Formats: sequence, structure tokens, C-alpha cells
Amino acid sequence: MPVISLTVNGTTVRKDVSANLLLVDFIRDNLDLTGTHVGCDTSQCGACVLHVDGRPVKSCTMLAVQADGCQLTTIEGLAGDDDLHPMQQAFRQHHGLQCGFCTPGMVMTAVAFAKDNPNATEEEVRHGLEGNLCRCTGYQNIIDAVIDGSKAMQGVG
Amino acid sequence: MKKAALGQSVRRTEDLRFLTGQGTYIDDIKMENMAHAAVLRSPHAHATLLSIDITEAAAMDGVQLIVTGKDWLAEGYGVIPCKSAVNTKIDGTPYAVPPRHCLAIDRVRYVGEAIALVIADTAAKARDALEIIDVKYEDLPAVTNAAKALEEGAPQIWDDIAGNLCLDYQLGDKDGTDRAFGQADHVVTLNLINNRVTAVPIEPRGAVADYDAETESFLLYNATQNIHANRDTFAQNVLHIEKDKLHHLAPDVGGGFGAKNGAYPEPPLILHAARKLGRPVKWINDRAESLLSDTHGRDQISRVELALDKDGTFRGLRTDTIGNLGAFCATVGPFTATGGSARTQGGPYAFSAMLYTSRAAFTNTAPTDPYRGAGRPEATFQIERVIEYAARKLGFDPVELRRKNLIPESSLPLKTSMGLDVDCGNFPEIFERTLTLSDRGNYASRVAASKADGKRRGFSIAPYLECTGGAPKEFAGVTFHPDGGVDLAVGSQSTGMGHETALPQILAARLGISQSRIHFTQADTNATPHGGGHGGSRGLEMGGNAVSQSADLVIDKTKQLVAHLLETSIDDLSFEDGLFRATSTNKTMSMDEAIEASFADDLPAPFDPEFLNTGSSFERGIISIPNGCHAAEVEVDIETGEVSIDGYWVIDDFGTIVNPLLADGQVMGGIAQGIGQALCEDIVYDQDSGQLLSGSLVDYALPRADRIPRMVIGYYEDAPTAKNPLGVKGAGEAGCVGAPPAIINAVLDALTEFGVDHIEMPATPLRVWQSIQTSKSMD
Amino acid sequence: MYEFDYQNPEDLASAVEARKNADDGLYLAGGQTIITVMKQRLAMPSDVIDLKGVNDLRGICIGDRKITIGAMTTHADVAANENIQRLIPALSGLAGKIGDPHVRNRGTLGGSIANNDPAADYPAALVALAATIHTHQREISGDTFFTDLFETALDDGELITKVDFPIVRAAAYEKIHNPASRFAIVGVFVAVSDDGVRVAVTGAGPCVFRVPMMEQALSDNFSPSALDTIKIDADGLNSDMHGTADYRAHLISVAARRAVITVGSGDKA
Repeated sequence: MPVISLTVNGTTVRKDVSANLLLVDFIRDNLDLTGTHVGCDTSQCGACVLHVDGRPVKSCTMLAVQADGCQLTTIEGLAGDDDLHPMQQAFRQHHGLQCGFCTPGMVMTAVAFAKDNPNATEEEVRHGLEGNLCRCTGYQNIIDAVIDGSKAMQGVG
Repeated sequence: MKKAALGQSVRRTEDLRFLTGQGTYIDDIKMENMAHAAVLRSPHAHATLLSIDITEAAAMDGVQLIVTGKDWLAEGYGVIPCKSAVNTKIDGTPYAVPPRHCLAIDRVRYVGEAIALVIADTAAKARDALEIIDVKYEDLPAVTNAAKALEEGAPQIWDDIAGNLCLDYQLGDKDGTDRAFGQADHVVTLNLINNRVTAVPIEPRGAVADYDAETESFLLYNATQNIHANRDTFAQNVLHIEKDKLHHLAPDVGGGFGAKNGAYPEPPLILHAARKLGRPVKWINDRAESLLSDTHGRDQISRVELALDKDGTFRGLRTDTIGNLGAFCATVGPFTATGGSARTQGGPYAFSAMLYTSRAAFTNTAPTDPYRGAGRPEATFQIERVIEYAARKLGFDPVELRRKNLIPESSLPLKTSMGLDVDCGNFPEIFERTLTLSDRGNYASRVAASKADGKRRGFSIAPYLECTGGAPKEFAGVTFHPDGGVDLAVGSQSTGMGHETALPQILAARLGISQSRIHFTQADTNATPHGGGHGGSRGLEMGGNAVSQSADLVIDKTKQLVAHLLETSIDDLSFEDGLFRATSTNKTMSMDEAIEASFADDLPAPFDPEFLNTGSSFERGIISIPNGCHAAEVEVDIETGEVSIDGYWVIDDFGTIVNPLLADGQVMGGIAQGIGQALCEDIVYDQDSGQLLSGSLVDYALPRADRIPRMVIGYYEDAPTAKNPLGVKGAGEAGCVGAPPAIINAVLDALTEFGVDHIEMPATPLRVWQSIQTSKSMD
Repeated sequence: MYEFDYQNPEDLASAVEARKNADDGLYLAGGQTIITVMKQRLAMPSDVIDLKGVNDLRGICIGDRKITIGAMTTHADVAANENIQRLIPALSGLAGKIGDPHVRNRGTLGGSIANNDPAADYPAALVALAATIHTHQREISGDTFFTDLFETALDDGELITKVDFPIVRAAAYEKIHNPASRFAIVGVFVAVSDDGVRVAVTGAGPCVFRVPMMEQALSDNFSPSALDTIKIDADGLNSDMHGTADYRAHLISVAARRAVITVGSGDKA
């Protein structure tokens, strides 16, 4: 079995894994970080999004072995030492979640998007979220949360 | 500290764990020595099950148990019953309900039907074993369309159910409509389809079962709604055990929308497996299985007839529907296409006579059951489409024709031909406000701009009438602890709607205590003696009123204690904003102080430490009537058929709004699902083979963020209902009720110049383009 | 997913060798297609050879007359590359329309074209731009690379290393999205070079194809109206619940005209 060594939320992890183990299953089952969710089988829904070397990826469409040597951030590690990351705070303020199942993936996508697109328009935000499905909110409050969260991340607004 | 109040947009308690990945959903539950189950599902729509050979699969490393239909039958387990409130045919004889076992016995009747359950040490091994179970089938002809299923010569789904007919149904005024149609100047007929869709909560269904041999009792964690009702079904009807031997509870549930309401076959299967193996068993659907086996929604074929005078006054409405039940009656099965779709016929319009008739048919498709709205979206779509169709056919302005026929406030309260008690509301006022909100003034210039860009713009307004439903009884229990904590346990259930915040908000506001003290429990058969779960937008109407009622009882009890402590009589006390005041002495005591004092050692009887603890059941008299108006403006790219929504406005009358932020959320989520059905979602079965063509999210198109417009939402709050103490009208489904006709009528408005007068849902780019081509070729 | 042996070669030669030695080997690039296929148990390789360690496959090289993109370059990197944005904006624009942001962070040029999904975007670009595909053993022209549904001219085990994209005078890519999958129902890439006009269509048929009638008409007169009388034959085009063959034939004309308008306007596409 391949051995992988990677950093997850700042902590080094070294484990034997099956080659066919999906990254999302590694995170959820081997590391007990169940905040990242599985909502589909065809890479549509985005509930499994986390950061690999700062980039948002769908962890259901990656093998754990592909993450060897990488730095991962999951929803559990987003806030660091704070209670809530500014984006998480914005989601709460704007009621950008209801059942919460798509939320970790949505927030991880939003944080990466905001870093790359600090002054995005509403239209750009909607396109930026095209890889994430939400069935509860109708997206509007999520958009507002992303715009506000982005400003908060920059320390403005 | 700001105290909670009704009408405040209190931010949600549950968000803290959801946002940080600390929620506990069904797949997050891990128990020691837990085994994993996988379900073998039929690849055929209709076939005789000749044999199932599990020898090789059972011998696989890690496989612990395989259960087939024959095993299940031998155990003597019962069937999952249908609990439709409409359960007789028009002639009074009982409806036809086929036996719904948890596994197929000798025949499979839809693609996805459960045939066997495999339990192994890991989920992967269970799925590996599925592949080598050798099943021999003999193909039978299949039928997926409900109208075709009722035709002479159609394949028979059930040998003893003639013509695939479950029941027929009629409600309304037959004589009155015959007269109205006989006398009217115009009769307009429209045939339309309310297409089959599915809920797609982002979390698939799943459950974890465990058995304690010592107490002979079961534990079931279930991503489900209706915990108490389903516990009763699983325990009494299926497993034949006492109710109290099954502890049923839901963890955090990732959405439901109705698809998680019913009693499904998988939970009893894994309960059986857990007992047999003596270890916990987990089962989780993947998305493909979810699309196959979740109950589907809608799927009605209707003929709608509108009788009106030459001045546009509506005289009568007749709707005849064929509803598709799927292969079985699901938990409420035929109710949706019968009683569920009949109640709000005619919408908020004045009709002297209405008649609703329907038939519910079996087909080789997944069973259908309530999906957000459950009959009211269908009814609203029918009336709004036929009005629009009639307007264009007869040369009426569609807005004016509606305005003319809306029931005026002065006519309320009234009882419709369908027996619906419409108590209060102001439909004309809401209609006008919605028009004002939607910026009609600048519409013409937008139309011109679209045209210059090679596109076409359309607008429509869709008033709607809703009614709530779900179980009419609800329980709320309040328990006080010496450390200051307050437990609130309810039998209603949130799967994202925010009850964890809204219900404590009501309790906190009523008692005048801090909301952060309240610990909320729902969806647990051990926590409340009964519970109505979720459905019919009942969360606030039932759960909220139960909480409010229990709060009032707590206040009554506390008054007794405070009267003793302040040495006065109960009559002398007033209670406001969390403060008791003795009028005679002006002495006061806060609720906080009274609660604390209730734990003192030296109090006389009856003031023991549990004195203030209260549980009560609230029973609803009659359902409430949410209502409102949607309006949509769309732009159609006539070259590609793509529709974009450029404006969306809605004003809702939900009576008293407890938490506006949460109410908005429900409206927007419902609208998004309505837009989904109108423009892109479609469950499609191949007509011949019965294969599910829309079997993954690669083909079942859910709307994404760039498909849903910005929605402008307002509330009409001048008509709180007297039907329940809080004055609430259930908000959860209304968005889904008004959106489809608003969108479809706006698209048709945009296509007026091409002579397109009808289009079926979803109005995909392909369909829109085809409708333009067809109309062009008819010129 | 079935079990397999995992190989993690550190250079090109080892990768090719590992693939050769496998009973039924598969190269793993970004995994956005192959992992989904394996999850659905539709592929059962004995060995998966991960290319992530093969640095020879990375890099974007800007030349005078062409841009060379390494096979393992992600769609996100192509979309964000300022030189490609400046020199062949239709190409960076196309890459930015593939899938969604997450897919673009992992999916690669080489992985995409080796798979030759009929609804993928890249094939239209490689054919319209007359690209040259480099493998570890030869060069293959874009015109001859894509052969049939999910099939290419690659020999068994042949590994794509990089693709040369000639820098054309002007180009545009117009994509009409499948509402569910976000793949192309129809995608048309129009390119104008010193050698003439090329029009390549993806999504509509089993494999990318050129439209000689449109190329001729546009060579004579590069304007949207030049396409007015050209009707595409629906025969042989894909038909599914999202689009009939007729509809796709119609969309080819629509997308081609819009791409021509974009080229003419000088807007980035």
C-alpha cells in the first residue's frame, strides 16, 4: 500500500492508504474530519470541496495518493485560531445556509474565489459558484455572503 | 443583551456547527463494530424474478449476511402501509393498495426497486458483493406513462388491480359546474402536464441501525422526517414489535423537501440485519441510487376547462387529472393527485362552481409521494395556465383578466367549492403591490432593448393560494435545570428550515429569557411522546404554536409560584416583557429570578423543582391559507431557446412573521425549486424499456447560482389568521407553488409573436426552440 | 472502485516503461474523467500510472509563432496565463469555460484530449488552430488526432507530452452549454490564420469535425452574413434529451455566426 505524507489543517499526517481510496474518504474516514461531505457521484454538487495547496478542488474526484506532499485545508481548519473565518461569519449573517450540507464546500469555494477575485460583481460570483449546488437557499443569500465575506477578508466594508 | 422577540431576524444557532463542519449527518455517525449495507436494485422496469443466487456473493471475504425477498417473507415481516387520507373510490369501495414489502418477492416493477440487501464489513465490500449476486429475470412489457397505463391493453403492473387503477376521485360541485359551463359565453380547454421531478436534497438518504439483545430493543438513526409516524410504521406494521422497542431519531438532516418524509424499505431491512448480526449496520444511498429510489414528485396529466363570460368573469372550473403513482402506493400515495390537488383549485379567484376529478394509476416507475407543495403547485399551475391561455385565445389582457376575478377582501371569509375555508387575506391588494414592485413602467423599453439584441422579453404575474397540511397535532416540552439551562423538545422537525432558532426564539420571546439558555431537541421518539415531524409547511404553524402554548402554560405556573413568593394573589399579577408585577404592591420578579427560585429547597408543595416543567399538545383546528403573488420577467434567446430570468418579485401573506430572515430563506429556496421544474429539471424514463434516463446529475439538471435571479421579496402582514394563536400561515412551500406558472407564462409571453400558446415543463432550450419551429411551420 | 497497483514515476521514460509493463495500464493526469469512470466501475485498470511527478509534462512556452503547452497543464493555468490571454485569447477563454472552477484546477490539456469526449471543448481548439500534438515518440497533427467517439490516433501506451498552438491572427470560441453537465451541447471554434479560416465543431457529433462549407464562405467573406445560407446536415449528429440532431445542426450555425461576430468585434473570446 502506498504511504502518503501531507499536511492537513497545519498538521502533518502520514498514513498507509489503498491506491483506490478517494481523497474525500481519506479525509472523512481515516482522519475523522467529517465536515467535508459527499452529495453526488459525478462531480457535480461540490459538497466535497476542500483546498489542496490553496486551490479549491472536488475531493471526490481525487485519489488520496494524488495529495501526497500537498497542503490541505478543510472546513474544520478554515478559521484557524478564530471562532469563525470572516467568510463563515458572513454566511451566518446573511443566512447563506439552511440544511448546512452543501455549506462546507460552498464556503471553501467562496474563500478561494474571494482571494482570486477581490472585487467580484454579483454576476461573477454567480459564475464562480457554478461548481456548487445548493438545494435549500436559492443562492441569493450565498451571493450576498460571498460579497460581504470577500470585503471582510480584505479588511474593508 | 438584546432579548429575542417575534419578528426579529435572529441569526441561527445551528449555523455555528454547520459552518465549521461540526454538524452530525447520518454518514458522519460511526459506531463500534459497525457493518455496512448495500442494496441490490432492479435493473429492469418490469420483470419476473426467476431466481436469486447469492452463493458466490455470500462466500466473499467480509460479507456477513445477504437478505433476499424470500428470506424477508419467511421472517413474517409486514408491508409498509399507505396512509392516504383519500382511500376510497368514487363508488365508496376501498382503493387498490398493492402490498409494499421491503424487498421484491417474485417480480420487480420499477428500475431501482430493492431486491436484496448485502451486509459486509466495509461499504466497498458490500458493493463488490452486489455485482456477483446472480439474478435471473424474465422481462415483461413496461409502461411508464400514467395515461397509457390506464388504456385497454396496457401492461398490468399488479395482477389483481385491473387496469392499473388505484382509485378515482371527485370533489366539488358537479351540478353547479354543469350549469356554469352550459351557460357560459366561452369555454376554454387546455391539456397540460405537470412533469415528474425529484427532490434531490444534497444529502442522500441513509440510516444506521443497532440492536440491543438484552433489552430486545432497536436504535435507528435515520436521515428522515416524520420520526414518530415512521417509527410506528417500522415497529408495528413491519417488524411487529412494540413501539417503545424502537428508538427512532434523526441527526442533522441535509434537506428533505418531502422525499425524506415517507416510510422507506431500507430502514426496516437494516434493523433486521442489525438484530440478526448483533452489530450496528449503516446504509447510505449514493446519488444514482437516490435518483432511482427516492420518491418522486408531481407527474400529473390534466385537462383544465375554464368557463367565462364575454366580459371575462369566471363562471366555472373543471379539472380532470391522471396522477402517476409509480409502481406502489408510497406513504400517502394517491393523496397528492386527489385531495392534495383538489383543495386549492381555482386559486384566489372567485368561482361559483368548481369540479375536480382524478384517477391515480400505477406504472413501472418509482413511487411518487409529496414533494414541496404536494398538490398545490399542480393546482396553481392549472389555474394560472388556463387563465393565461384563455386570455390570449379570447383577446383579454392577462393582467386585467386576473385582476377582474380575484376574490375581494370583502367576500372573505368564504368556503370554496372544494370546501376550503379561506378566512382572511387581501388578494387584490397583494396583486397590485406586486405589479408596482415589478417596475412595469419601464418594461416597454426593456422589451425594445431585448429585441434589438435578437432576444424576446416576457412578463407574467401569478397570484397563488396555498394551504398548509401535515399532522394536525404537535407537542412541545419545556424543562428547566438548576444550572440555568432550558430544554425545549418538539415533535416537529427542521431539515434546514431553522426551527432550532425560530422555536427557541418564540419560547424566549414569550418567557422573556435569553435565547442562548435554550437547548433544542427535535426528531427523537424518546424526547417527545408524539410528534408530527415535517410536511405541509407545519413547522411554525404546529411546532411554533405548540411552543407558544407550552410557554403560556409555563407562565401560568410561574404566576402561581411568584404569587406565593411575592405574597399576593395570582389575579394581582401581571406579566410583560419577562417581568411579573404585583399591581397592589408594585413588587416585581423577573422570569429569570422565578425560574431560579423554583429550585430552592424550602418551597412548600406543590412547588417542587419540576413544578415549572411543562409539556403540552397543540391541536390545529383547520389549516391556514398562505397566499401571495409572484411575477417574473424573462428574456428568451430565440436562436438557442435559452431562457434567462431578468426579474423576479413576490409578495407573500404568511400572517405573523416570526423570523423574517428565515421566512425569506424559505421563499427563495422554494422559488429556486419552482424555477428548476419550470426550466430544467425532468425525471425521464424511456417509454419502452422503463430505464431512468435522467439517472445522474449529469442529466438531471439542477439550477445553479447563475440560473436563479435576484428575488425581490415582500410581505403582506395585515391579515394574520385567527386559525391559530400565533396567527401564522405556513411559509415553507409557497415559493414552489407560485414560481412555475410565473416562469412558464412569462416565457409564453415572450414567444407571443411566434404564436406559441403552450409549452410543457421543463421549458428547456430545446423545447423552446422546437416550439418556435413548430409554430413557424404552421403559418 | 476496483483495486489497482499505483505507480508514481518521476520521469517520462519511467512513466512509459511502467505503462508498457502493466497488464492493463492507465495514465492518470488530472483524474477528472478517469476517477469518475472508475468510481462508476466502468474501468478496471490493473495499474494506474500517475503523471503528477513527471515535470517534463509541465510548462507553458511562448514562442514567436506558437505557444507550447505541457500535457499536464491544468485548464485553470491555461485560462489564467497572461500570455495566452494576450496572444490566443480564444484559447484561454475556452479553458476558462471548461467544467467548473474545481474541475479546472485539476483537469489537464493532455488528459482531456487523450479522452476525446465528444462534448469536450479542447478538441475544437486543436483542430481549428491546426495544433500539433507531441507524444513521447512522434508528432501528430490536430487534424488527424481525433478519430472517433472517445478514440484518438494514439497508440496503446503512447503518452502526450505537449501541444503546439500556432498563434493565429484572430479566433473565437462560442460554447452553448448543456444545462446539466456544463459540457458543450455545441461548441464552435473559428480561427483566422495566414493559411485561411478554420471552423471546428465539438459537442454536435461523435467527434470534432470541420465545416468546409463555412470555411470557404468565410474565406471569401469573413462576416456573419456569409453563413446565412449554410445549413448543416443533421444526419449523423448526436441526439439526446438535451438536444436533437436538428437542434444541434441549428446551433452550429448560431454558434459559428456568434464566433465570427466576436472575431470581428475584436473582443476577447
